[in-house]
Amino acid sequence: MAEINPEYLDLDADMSKRDMDQSPVFLLEKIKQEGRVWGDLCEQYGVKNPDPPWRVTLEATCDMLAENNCRTSDTGEAAQTAEAEKDTKVLDGIERRWEEDHLVKEHYANVPFPENQLLALAHTLIRRGLMDENELARKMKEVDQRLNMT
Amino acid sequence: MSKPHYDREHHAKKATGIGDPQCFKGEAPPPKFKVGDKVRVKDLPDIFYNRAQVYTRGAPAVVAELVYESPAAEDESWDNTENVTWFYSVIFKQKDLWPEYPDTFANDTVETELPERWLEPL
Amino acid sequence: MTDEHKPHAPAPMVDEVSEFEVLEIAVRELAIEKGLFTAEDHQRWTEYMHTLGPLPAARLVAKAWLDPEYKKLAVTDGVKASLEVGIDWVNSMPTKFGTPSDYCNLRVLEDTPTLHHVVVCTLCSCYPRPILGQSPEWYRTPNYRRRLVRWPRQVLAEFGLQLPEEVEVRVEDSNQKSRFIVLPVRPEGTEGWTEDQLAEIVTRDCLIGVALPRPGKTANDPRPVRPALKPYHH
Repeated sequence: MAEINPEYLDLDADMSKRDMDQSPVFLLEKIKQEGRVWGDLCEQYGVKNPDPPWRVTLEATCDMLAENNCRTSDTGEAAQTAEAEKDTKVLDGIERRWEEDHLVKEHYANVPFPENQLLALAHTLIRRGLMDENELARKMKEVDQRLNMT
Repeated sequence: MSKPHYDREHHAKKATGIGDPQCFKGEAPPPKFKVGDKVRVKDLPDIFYNRAQVYTRGAPAVVAELVYESPAAEDESWDNTENVTWFYSVIFKQKDLWPEYPDTFANDTVETELPERWLEPL
Repeated sequence: MTDEHKPHAPAPMVDEVSEFEVLEIAVRELAIEKGLFTAEDHQRWTEYMHTLGPLPAARLVAKAWLDPEYKKLAVTDGVKASLEVGIDWVNSMPTKFGTPSDYCNLRVLEDTPTLHHVVVCTLCSCYPRPILGQSPEWYRTPNYRRRLVRWPRQVLAEFGLQLPEEVEVRVEDSNQKSRFIVLPVRPEGTEGWTEDQLAEIVTRDCLIGVALPRPGKTANDPRPVRPALKPYHH
Protein backbone atom coordinates (compact mmCIF):
# COMPACT_ATOMS: atom_id res chain seq x y z
CA MET A 1 0.00 0.00 0.00
CA ALA A 2 1.03 3.59 -0.48
CA GLU A 3 2.66 5.15 2.53
CA ILE A 4 1.49 8.70 2.42
CA ASN A 5 3.11 11.12 4.75
CA PRO A 6 0.43 13.53 5.93
CA GLU A 7 3.09 16.15 6.53
CA TYR A 8 3.68 16.52 2.83
CA LEU A 9 4.05 20.01 1.54
CA ASP A 10 1.63 19.90 -1.31
CA LEU A 11 -0.23 22.69 -3.04
CA ASP A 12 -2.77 22.84 -0.23
CA ALA A 13 -0.16 23.27 2.44
CA ASP A 14 1.89 25.71 0.38
CA MET A 15 -1.10 27.91 -0.41
CA SER A 16 -2.57 27.72 3.09
CA LYS A 17 0.67 29.06 4.53
CA ARG A 18 0.48 32.25 2.56
CA ASP A 19 -1.81 33.74 5.13
CA MET A 20 -3.96 35.57 2.66
CA ASP A 21 -6.53 37.91 4.15
CA GLN A 22 -9.65 35.73 4.13
CA SER A 23 -12.09 38.42 5.22
CA PRO A 24 -15.05 39.30 3.01
CA VAL A 25 -14.80 42.18 0.55
CA PHE A 26 -17.59 44.68 1.13
CA LEU A 27 -18.13 45.53 -2.54
CA LEU A 28 -18.34 41.86 -3.50
CA GLU A 29 -20.63 41.02 -0.59
CA LYS A 30 -22.99 43.69 -1.87
CA ILE A 31 -22.97 42.23 -5.40
CA LYS A 32 -23.50 38.76 -3.92
CA GLN A 33 -26.60 40.00 -2.08
CA GLU A 34 -28.07 42.22 -4.76
CA GLY A 35 -26.80 40.83 -8.05
CA ARG A 36 -29.17 38.89 -10.27
CA VAL A 37 -27.68 35.59 -11.37
CA TRP A 38 -27.94 34.23 -14.90
CA GLY A 39 -30.48 31.53 -14.04
CA ASP A 40 -32.95 34.14 -12.74
CA LEU A 41 -32.50 36.36 -15.77
CA CYS A 42 -32.99 33.39 -18.11
CA GLU A 43 -36.25 32.53 -16.45
CA GLN A 44 -37.55 36.08 -16.64
CA TYR A 45 -36.58 36.64 -20.27
CA GLY A 46 -37.18 33.12 -21.57
CA VAL A 47 -33.55 32.63 -22.55
CA LYS A 48 -32.15 29.14 -23.13
CA ASN A 49 -28.39 29.74 -23.26
CA PRO A 50 -26.88 27.92 -20.26
CA ASP A 51 -24.08 30.48 -19.89
CA PRO A 52 -24.19 34.26 -19.56
CA PRO A 53 -22.60 36.12 -22.48
CA TRP A 54 -19.73 37.27 -20.28
CA ARG A 55 -18.55 33.77 -19.39
CA VAL A 56 -16.16 33.61 -22.34
CA THR A 57 -14.69 37.04 -21.66
CA LEU A 58 -14.20 36.08 -18.02
CA GLU A 59 -12.33 32.92 -19.08
CA ALA A 60 -10.22 35.00 -21.40
CA THR A 61 -9.38 37.42 -18.59
CA CYS A 62 -8.18 34.50 -16.46
CA ASP A 63 -6.04 33.22 -19.35
CA MET A 64 -4.60 36.67 -19.98
CA LEU A 65 -3.59 36.98 -16.33
CA ALA A 66 -2.10 33.48 -16.19
CA GLU A 67 0.88 33.81 -18.45
CA ASN A 68 2.52 36.06 -20.99
CA ASN A 69 2.14 33.06 -23.33
CA CYS A 70 -1.33 34.30 -24.17
CA ARG A 71 -0.23 37.82 -24.81
CA THR A 72 1.26 38.59 -28.16
CA SER A 73 1.04 42.29 -28.82
CA ASP A 74 3.96 43.34 -26.62
CA THR A 75 6.57 41.17 -28.25
CA GLY A 76 8.58 43.98 -29.82
CA GLU A 77 12.23 44.47 -28.92
CA ALA A 78 11.51 47.80 -27.21
CA ALA A 79 8.70 46.38 -25.12
CA GLN A 80 10.91 43.45 -24.23
CA THR A 81 13.67 45.68 -22.91
CA ALA A 82 11.27 47.91 -21.05
CA GLU A 83 9.53 44.99 -19.41
CA ALA A 84 12.48 42.69 -18.99
CA GLU A 85 12.43 43.10 -15.24
CA LYS A 86 8.69 42.84 -14.88
CA ASP A 87 7.21 39.59 -13.65
CA THR A 88 5.10 38.57 -16.59
CA LYS A 89 3.05 36.02 -14.73
CA VAL A 90 0.42 38.23 -13.13
CA LEU A 91 -1.67 35.53 -11.53
CA ASP A 92 -0.67 31.90 -11.91
CA GLY A 93 -3.53 29.71 -13.10
CA ILE A 94 -3.21 26.93 -10.57
CA GLU A 95 -2.97 29.41 -7.69
CA ARG A 96 -6.01 31.30 -8.90
CA ARG A 97 -7.95 28.04 -9.13
CA TRP A 98 -6.87 27.08 -5.62
CA GLU A 99 -8.01 30.43 -4.26
CA GLU A 100 -11.24 30.18 -6.25
CA ASP A 101 -12.04 26.83 -4.64
CA HIS A 102 -11.38 28.19 -1.18
CA LEU A 103 -13.04 31.59 -1.60
CA VAL A 104 -16.14 29.99 -3.10
CA LYS A 105 -16.38 27.63 -0.16
CA GLU A 106 -15.80 30.41 2.36
CA HIS A 107 -17.78 33.31 0.89
CA TYR A 108 -19.67 32.37 -2.26
CA ALA A 109 -21.00 28.87 -1.55
CA ASN A 110 -24.56 29.80 -2.46
CA VAL A 111 -23.67 31.67 -5.63
CA PRO A 112 -23.99 29.63 -8.84
CA PHE A 113 -21.27 29.24 -11.49
CA PRO A 114 -19.86 31.29 -13.23
CA GLU A 115 -20.96 34.14 -10.96
CA ASN A 116 -18.92 32.52 -8.16
CA GLN A 117 -15.84 32.28 -10.39
CA LEU A 118 -16.14 35.98 -11.16
CA LEU A 119 -16.54 37.00 -7.50
CA ALA A 120 -13.56 34.81 -6.56
CA LEU A 121 -11.39 36.34 -9.28
CA ALA A 122 -12.24 39.88 -8.18
CA HIS A 123 -11.62 38.86 -4.57
CA THR A 124 -8.20 37.42 -5.42
CA LEU A 125 -7.19 40.49 -7.43
CA ILE A 126 -8.17 42.82 -4.59
CA ARG A 127 -6.50 40.78 -1.86
CA ARG A 128 -3.31 40.47 -3.89
CA GLY A 129 -3.20 44.21 -4.33
CA LEU A 130 -3.58 44.03 -8.10
CA MET A 131 -6.73 46.11 -7.83
CA ASP A 132 -8.15 48.40 -5.21
CA GLU A 133 -11.67 47.88 -3.93
CA ASN A 134 -12.63 51.56 -4.23
CA GLU A 135 -11.08 51.76 -7.64
CA LEU A 136 -13.12 48.77 -8.77
CA ALA A 137 -16.29 50.27 -7.30
CA ARG A 138 -15.66 53.47 -9.24
CA LYS A 139 -15.04 51.51 -12.41
CA MET A 140 -18.27 49.58 -11.92
CA LYS A 141 -20.19 52.81 -11.56
CA GLU A 142 -18.66 54.10 -14.77
CA VAL A 143 -19.53 50.87 -16.66
CA ASP A 144 -23.03 50.87 -15.20
CA GLN A 145 -23.63 54.43 -16.36
CA ARG A 146 -22.34 53.59 -19.80
CA LEU A 147 -24.44 50.44 -20.27
CA ASN A 148 -27.54 51.19 -18.28
CA MET A 149 -27.51 54.91 -19.01
CA THR A 150 -28.30 55.60 -15.38
CA MET B 1 26.68 45.19 -11.60
CA SER B 2 24.68 44.83 -14.75
CA LYS B 3 21.44 42.93 -14.61
CA PRO B 4 21.35 39.65 -16.53
CA HIS B 5 19.41 39.90 -19.76
CA TYR B 6 16.31 37.77 -19.61
CA ASP B 7 14.66 36.89 -22.88
CA ARG B 8 11.03 36.64 -21.89
CA GLU B 9 10.06 35.43 -25.35
CA HIS B 10 12.37 32.44 -25.42
CA HIS B 11 9.60 29.93 -24.90
CA ALA B 12 7.47 31.50 -27.61
CA LYS B 13 10.42 31.51 -29.98
CA LYS B 14 11.08 27.85 -29.32
CA ALA B 15 7.52 26.57 -29.44
CA THR B 16 5.75 28.68 -32.06
CA GLY B 17 4.48 26.56 -34.93
CA ILE B 18 5.76 23.40 -33.23
CA GLY B 19 3.77 23.19 -30.01
CA ASP B 20 4.55 22.36 -26.42
CA PRO B 21 5.61 19.60 -25.48
CA GLN B 22 6.58 18.84 -29.12
CA CYS B 23 9.29 21.53 -29.02
CA PHE B 24 11.30 19.46 -26.51
CA LYS B 25 11.37 16.35 -28.69
CA GLY B 26 14.79 14.72 -28.86
CA GLU B 27 16.24 16.68 -25.92
CA ALA B 28 15.86 14.09 -23.17
CA PRO B 29 18.49 11.47 -22.36
CA PRO B 30 17.50 7.92 -23.38
CA PRO B 31 14.52 6.67 -21.35
CA LYS B 32 15.29 4.51 -18.31
CA PHE B 33 11.99 2.62 -18.46
CA LYS B 34 10.03 0.83 -21.14
CA VAL B 35 6.40 -0.13 -21.53
CA GLY B 36 5.49 -2.89 -19.08
CA ASP B 37 8.17 -2.01 -16.51
CA LYS B 38 7.14 -2.11 -12.87
CA VAL B 39 7.96 1.12 -11.08
CA ARG B 40 7.33 2.93 -7.83
CA VAL B 41 6.63 6.64 -7.41
CA LYS B 42 9.40 8.21 -5.36
CA ASP B 43 8.92 10.20 -2.20
CA LEU B 44 10.76 13.30 -3.32
CA PRO B 45 10.60 16.52 -1.32
CA ASP B 46 8.37 19.10 -2.95
CA ILE B 47 8.91 22.43 -1.32
CA PHE B 48 7.61 24.41 -4.26
CA TYR B 49 5.44 23.87 -7.29
CA ASN B 50 5.20 20.42 -8.82
CA ARG B 51 2.52 18.28 -10.42
CA ALA B 52 3.34 14.82 -9.05
CA GLN B 53 0.22 14.16 -7.05
CA VAL B 54 0.70 13.29 -3.40
CA TYR B 55 -1.73 10.38 -3.54
CA THR B 56 0.60 8.53 -5.93
CA ARG B 57 3.70 8.76 -3.73
CA GLY B 58 5.16 5.43 -2.75
CA ALA B 59 2.68 3.45 -4.82
CA PRO B 60 3.65 0.75 -7.34
CA ALA B 61 2.62 1.18 -10.96
CA VAL B 62 3.19 -0.22 -14.45
CA VAL B 63 4.48 1.86 -17.35
CA ALA B 64 1.78 2.02 -20.02
CA GLU B 65 3.31 4.46 -22.48
CA LEU B 66 6.25 6.81 -23.03
CA VAL B 67 4.27 9.91 -23.82
CA TYR B 68 6.57 12.88 -24.57
CA GLU B 69 9.74 14.70 -23.55
CA SER B 70 9.51 17.88 -21.50
CA PRO B 71 11.04 19.60 -18.52
CA ALA B 72 9.37 18.50 -15.28
CA ALA B 73 6.79 20.96 -13.94
CA GLU B 74 8.90 21.78 -10.88
CA ASP B 75 11.75 22.89 -13.17
CA GLU B 76 9.63 24.59 -15.78
CA SER B 77 7.85 26.69 -13.18
CA TRP B 78 11.25 28.31 -12.53
CA ASP B 79 11.83 28.61 -16.25
CA ASN B 80 14.50 25.93 -16.11
CA THR B 81 14.19 24.06 -19.39
CA GLU B 82 17.64 22.48 -19.36
CA ASN B 83 16.73 19.13 -17.85
CA VAL B 84 14.32 17.74 -20.40
CA THR B 85 13.13 14.30 -19.37
CA TRP B 86 10.86 11.51 -20.56
CA PHE B 87 7.30 11.49 -19.27
CA TYR B 88 5.62 8.16 -18.63
CA SER B 89 1.98 7.29 -18.44
CA VAL B 90 1.71 4.82 -15.57
CA ILE B 91 -1.19 2.73 -14.30
CA PHE B 92 -1.94 2.09 -10.63
CA LYS B 93 -4.28 -0.47 -9.14
CA GLN B 94 -6.86 1.45 -7.10
CA LYS B 95 -6.21 -0.99 -4.29
CA ASP B 96 -2.55 0.11 -4.16
CA LEU B 97 -3.56 3.75 -3.78
CA TRP B 98 -6.48 3.38 -1.38
CA PRO B 99 -6.31 0.28 0.82
CA GLU B 100 -10.03 0.53 1.58
CA TYR B 101 -11.00 0.34 -2.10
CA PRO B 102 -13.64 -2.42 -2.39
CA ASP B 103 -12.38 -5.89 -3.41
CA THR B 104 -15.39 -6.29 -5.67
CA PHE B 105 -13.78 -3.81 -8.03
CA ALA B 106 -10.21 -5.05 -7.71
CA ASN B 107 -9.62 -4.47 -11.44
CA ASP B 108 -10.18 -0.71 -11.24
CA THR B 109 -7.20 1.49 -12.02
CA VAL B 110 -5.88 5.05 -12.15
CA GLU B 111 -3.61 6.27 -14.95
CA THR B 112 -1.53 9.42 -14.80
CA GLU B 113 1.68 10.89 -16.24
CA LEU B 114 4.91 11.44 -14.35
CA PRO B 115 8.39 12.65 -15.29
CA GLU B 116 11.20 10.08 -15.07
CA ARG B 117 12.80 11.46 -11.92
CA TRP B 118 9.70 10.59 -9.90
CA LEU B 119 9.94 6.89 -10.79
CA GLU B 120 12.22 4.12 -9.51
CA PRO B 121 12.38 0.51 -10.68
CA LEU B 122 10.45 -1.99 -8.60
CA MET C 1 -43.23 39.30 -33.97
CA THR C 2 -44.96 35.93 -34.04
CA ASP C 3 -43.97 34.46 -37.38
CA GLU C 4 -43.89 30.74 -36.60
CA HIS C 5 -42.53 29.81 -39.98
CA LYS C 6 -39.48 31.95 -39.74
CA PRO C 7 -36.74 29.30 -39.82
CA HIS C 8 -34.07 30.98 -37.74
CA ALA C 9 -35.83 33.36 -35.42
CA PRO C 10 -33.19 34.82 -33.12
CA ALA C 11 -33.27 33.33 -29.65
CA PRO C 12 -34.56 35.76 -27.06
CA MET C 13 -31.87 37.63 -25.17
CA VAL C 14 -31.78 39.04 -21.70
CA ASP C 15 -32.76 42.70 -21.70
CA GLU C 16 -30.87 43.65 -18.60
CA VAL C 17 -27.26 44.27 -17.63
CA SER C 18 -26.83 42.58 -14.27
CA GLU C 19 -24.43 43.60 -11.51
CA PHE C 20 -22.35 40.54 -12.39
CA GLU C 21 -22.00 41.60 -15.98
CA VAL C 22 -20.98 45.06 -14.84
CA LEU C 23 -18.41 43.51 -12.48
CA GLU C 24 -16.95 41.35 -15.26
CA ILE C 25 -16.52 44.35 -17.53
CA ALA C 26 -15.11 46.50 -14.73
CA VAL C 27 -12.50 43.88 -13.72
CA ARG C 28 -11.43 43.46 -17.33
CA GLU C 29 -11.23 47.18 -18.13
CA LEU C 30 -9.39 47.97 -14.93
CA ALA C 31 -6.86 45.20 -15.63
CA ILE C 32 -6.31 46.67 -19.10
CA GLU C 33 -5.90 50.20 -17.69
CA LYS C 34 -3.32 48.86 -15.27
CA GLY C 35 -1.41 47.23 -18.08
CA LEU C 36 -1.89 43.64 -16.88
CA PHE C 37 -2.80 42.72 -20.45
CA THR C 38 -3.91 44.56 -23.58
CA ALA C 39 -7.43 44.97 -24.92
CA GLU C 40 -6.22 43.68 -28.27
CA ASP C 41 -4.87 40.40 -26.87
CA HIS C 42 -8.00 39.91 -24.80
CA GLN C 43 -10.18 40.36 -27.84
CA ARG C 44 -8.12 37.99 -29.95
CA TRP C 45 -8.30 35.34 -27.24
CA THR C 46 -12.03 35.79 -26.72
CA GLU C 47 -12.72 35.43 -30.42
CA TYR C 48 -10.77 32.19 -30.46
CA MET C 49 -12.62 30.86 -27.40
CA HIS C 50 -15.93 31.58 -29.08
CA THR C 51 -15.06 29.12 -31.84
CA LEU C 52 -14.59 26.21 -29.42
CA GLY C 53 -17.08 23.48 -28.55
CA PRO C 54 -17.46 19.70 -28.27
CA LEU C 55 -18.45 19.08 -31.90
CA PRO C 56 -14.97 18.32 -33.32
CA ALA C 57 -14.34 15.72 -30.61
CA ALA C 58 -17.74 14.10 -31.30
CA ARG C 59 -16.87 13.95 -34.98
CA LEU C 60 -13.49 12.42 -34.23
CA VAL C 61 -15.23 9.60 -32.32
CA ALA C 62 -17.83 9.07 -35.07
CA LYS C 63 -15.10 8.86 -37.70
CA ALA C 64 -13.14 6.41 -35.58
CA TRP C 65 -16.22 4.20 -35.23
CA LEU C 66 -16.60 4.09 -39.01
CA ASP C 67 -12.99 3.87 -40.12
CA PRO C 68 -10.60 1.41 -38.39
CA GLU C 69 -7.56 3.10 -39.95
CA TYR C 70 -8.61 6.47 -38.60
CA LYS C 71 -9.25 4.90 -35.21
CA LYS C 72 -5.67 3.61 -35.19
CA LEU C 73 -4.43 7.11 -35.96
CA ALA C 74 -6.65 8.65 -33.27
CA VAL C 75 -5.36 6.41 -30.48
CA THR C 76 -1.71 6.72 -31.53
CA ASP C 77 -1.60 10.41 -32.55
CA GLY C 78 -4.55 12.42 -31.31
CA VAL C 79 -3.08 15.72 -32.49
CA LYS C 80 -2.74 14.46 -36.06
CA ALA C 81 -6.21 12.88 -35.99
CA SER C 82 -7.64 16.21 -34.79
CA LEU C 83 -6.57 17.85 -38.05
CA GLU C 84 -9.18 15.80 -39.92
CA VAL C 85 -11.93 17.27 -37.77
CA GLY C 86 -10.64 20.80 -38.24
CA ILE C 87 -8.61 21.26 -35.06
CA ASP C 88 -4.96 22.20 -35.35
CA TRP C 89 -3.73 22.03 -31.76
CA VAL C 90 -0.60 23.97 -32.58
CA ASN C 91 -1.61 26.59 -35.09
CA SER C 92 -5.27 27.34 -34.48
CA MET C 93 -4.52 28.85 -31.12
CA PRO C 94 -3.68 32.56 -31.14
CA THR C 95 -0.26 31.83 -29.63
CA LYS C 96 0.56 29.05 -32.13
CA PHE C 97 2.05 26.85 -29.45
CA GLY C 98 -0.63 26.15 -26.86
CA THR C 99 -1.16 27.89 -23.54
CA PRO C 100 -0.38 27.01 -19.95
CA SER C 101 -3.66 25.16 -19.81
CA ASP C 102 -3.87 23.83 -23.38
CA TYR C 103 -0.70 21.95 -24.17
CA CYS C 104 -0.60 20.26 -27.55
CA ASN C 105 -0.72 16.58 -26.65
CA LEU C 106 -4.14 15.03 -27.11
CA ARG C 107 -4.52 11.40 -26.10
CA VAL C 108 -7.61 9.51 -27.21
CA LEU C 109 -8.51 6.81 -24.67
CA GLU C 110 -10.12 3.82 -26.31
CA ASP C 111 -12.80 2.01 -24.32
CA THR C 112 -13.45 -1.71 -24.80
CA PRO C 113 -16.28 -3.90 -23.52
CA THR C 114 -14.14 -4.54 -20.40
CA LEU C 115 -12.42 -1.16 -19.96
CA HIS C 116 -14.04 2.22 -19.34
CA HIS C 117 -12.08 5.48 -19.09
CA VAL C 118 -13.15 8.60 -17.23
CA VAL C 119 -11.15 11.84 -17.14
CA VAL C 120 -10.43 14.21 -14.27
CA CYS C 121 -7.81 16.79 -13.35
CA THR C 122 -7.26 16.38 -9.62
CA LEU C 123 -4.99 19.45 -9.48
CA CYS C 124 -7.15 22.13 -11.03
CA SER C 125 -9.27 21.76 -14.17
CA CYS C 126 -7.07 20.81 -17.15
CA TYR C 127 -9.40 20.08 -20.06
CA PRO C 128 -8.92 19.60 -23.82
CA ARG C 129 -10.45 22.99 -24.63
CA PRO C 130 -9.36 23.22 -28.29
CA ILE C 131 -11.40 20.14 -29.19
CA LEU C 132 -14.04 20.06 -26.43
CA GLY C 133 -14.71 23.71 -25.55
CA GLN C 134 -15.08 25.06 -22.03
CA SER C 135 -15.29 22.57 -19.19
CA PRO C 136 -18.63 22.16 -17.43
CA GLU C 137 -19.01 23.58 -13.96
CA TRP C 138 -18.98 20.25 -12.14
CA TYR C 139 -15.68 19.26 -13.78
CA ARG C 140 -14.00 22.13 -11.95
CA THR C 141 -15.41 21.41 -8.50
CA PRO C 142 -13.27 19.91 -5.72
CA ASN C 143 -16.16 17.48 -5.15
CA TYR C 144 -15.62 15.84 -8.56
CA ARG C 145 -11.84 16.22 -8.63
CA ARG C 146 -11.12 14.77 -5.23
CA ARG C 147 -13.71 12.02 -5.21
CA LEU C 148 -13.49 10.67 -8.76
CA VAL C 149 -9.97 9.40 -8.33
CA ARG C 150 -10.89 7.65 -5.10
CA TRP C 151 -14.53 6.61 -5.37
CA PRO C 152 -15.02 6.58 -9.14
CA ARG C 153 -17.97 4.21 -9.11
CA GLN C 154 -19.80 6.31 -6.53
CA VAL C 155 -19.30 9.46 -8.61
CA LEU C 156 -20.25 7.73 -11.87
CA ALA C 157 -23.39 6.38 -10.20
CA GLU C 158 -24.34 9.97 -9.34
CA PHE C 159 -24.18 10.65 -13.08
CA GLY C 160 -26.48 7.69 -13.65
CA LEU C 161 -23.70 5.42 -14.93
CA GLN C 162 -23.41 2.07 -13.17
CA LEU C 163 -20.91 -0.33 -14.70
CA PRO C 164 -20.67 -4.07 -13.96
CA GLU C 165 -17.70 -5.30 -11.94
CA GLU C 166 -16.21 -7.08 -14.96
CA VAL C 167 -15.60 -3.66 -16.47
CA GLU C 168 -12.37 -2.07 -15.30
CA VAL C 169 -12.93 1.59 -14.51
CA ARG C 170 -9.77 3.53 -15.34
CA VAL C 171 -9.60 7.07 -14.03
CA GLU C 172 -7.29 9.23 -16.12
CA ASP C 173 -5.79 11.96 -13.96
CA SER C 174 -4.95 14.72 -16.42
CA ASN C 175 -2.37 16.74 -14.54
CA GLN C 176 0.68 17.03 -16.80
CA LYS C 177 0.87 18.06 -20.47
CA SER C 178 -1.49 15.56 -22.13
CA ARG C 179 -5.17 16.30 -22.54
CA PHE C 180 -7.68 13.51 -22.95
CA ILE C 181 -10.93 12.51 -24.57
CA VAL C 182 -12.64 9.13 -24.29
CA LEU C 183 -13.42 7.04 -27.37
CA PRO C 184 -16.42 5.04 -26.16
CA VAL C 185 -17.55 1.69 -27.52
CA ARG C 186 -19.99 2.18 -30.39
CA PRO C 187 -23.41 1.37 -28.97
CA GLU C 188 -25.78 -1.24 -30.35
CA GLY C 189 -28.63 0.03 -32.45
CA THR C 190 -26.44 2.30 -34.56
CA GLU C 191 -25.76 -0.14 -37.40
CA GLY C 192 -25.70 1.59 -40.78
CA TRP C 193 -25.67 5.08 -39.27
CA THR C 194 -23.87 7.94 -40.99
CA GLU C 195 -21.06 9.94 -39.44
CA ASP C 196 -23.49 12.81 -38.77
CA GLN C 197 -25.95 10.53 -36.99
CA LEU C 198 -23.21 8.98 -34.90
CA ALA C 199 -21.63 12.31 -33.97
CA GLU C 200 -24.97 13.49 -32.59
CA ILE C 201 -25.02 10.90 -29.80
CA VAL C 202 -21.41 11.53 -28.72
CA THR C 203 -22.16 14.14 -26.09
CA ARG C 204 -19.63 16.09 -24.07
CA ASP C 205 -20.32 13.84 -21.07
CA CYS C 206 -19.50 10.74 -23.18
CA LEU C 207 -16.21 12.36 -24.18
CA ILE C 208 -15.28 12.97 -20.53
CA GLY C 209 -16.41 9.45 -19.66
CA VAL C 210 -19.24 10.16 -17.21
CA ALA C 211 -21.87 8.87 -19.66
CA LEU C 212 -22.14 6.27 -22.42
CA PRO C 213 -23.52 7.05 -25.87
CA ARG C 214 -26.85 5.57 -26.81
CA PRO C 215 -29.27 6.00 -29.69
CA GLY C 216 -31.69 8.86 -29.17
CA LYS C 217 -29.63 10.54 -26.49
CA THR C 218 -28.15 13.75 -27.87
CA ALA C 219 -27.88 16.00 -24.82
CA ASN C 220 -26.09 15.97 -21.49
CA ASP C 221 -28.15 15.24 -18.39
CA PRO C 222 -28.30 17.96 -15.79
CA ARG C 223 -25.63 17.31 -13.22
CA PRO C 224 -27.20 16.58 -9.83
CA VAL C 225 -25.55 18.67 -7.16
CA ARG C 226 -24.98 16.47 -4.13
CA PRO C 227 -22.84 16.89 -1.09
CA ALA C 228 -20.01 14.36 -0.86
CA LEU C 229 -21.14 11.13 0.80
CA LYS C 230 -17.62 10.42 1.93
CA PRO C 231 -15.09 12.95 3.08
CA TYR C 232 -12.02 13.62 1.02
CA HIS C 233 -9.60 13.93 3.91
CA HIS C 234 -7.89 10.92 5.44
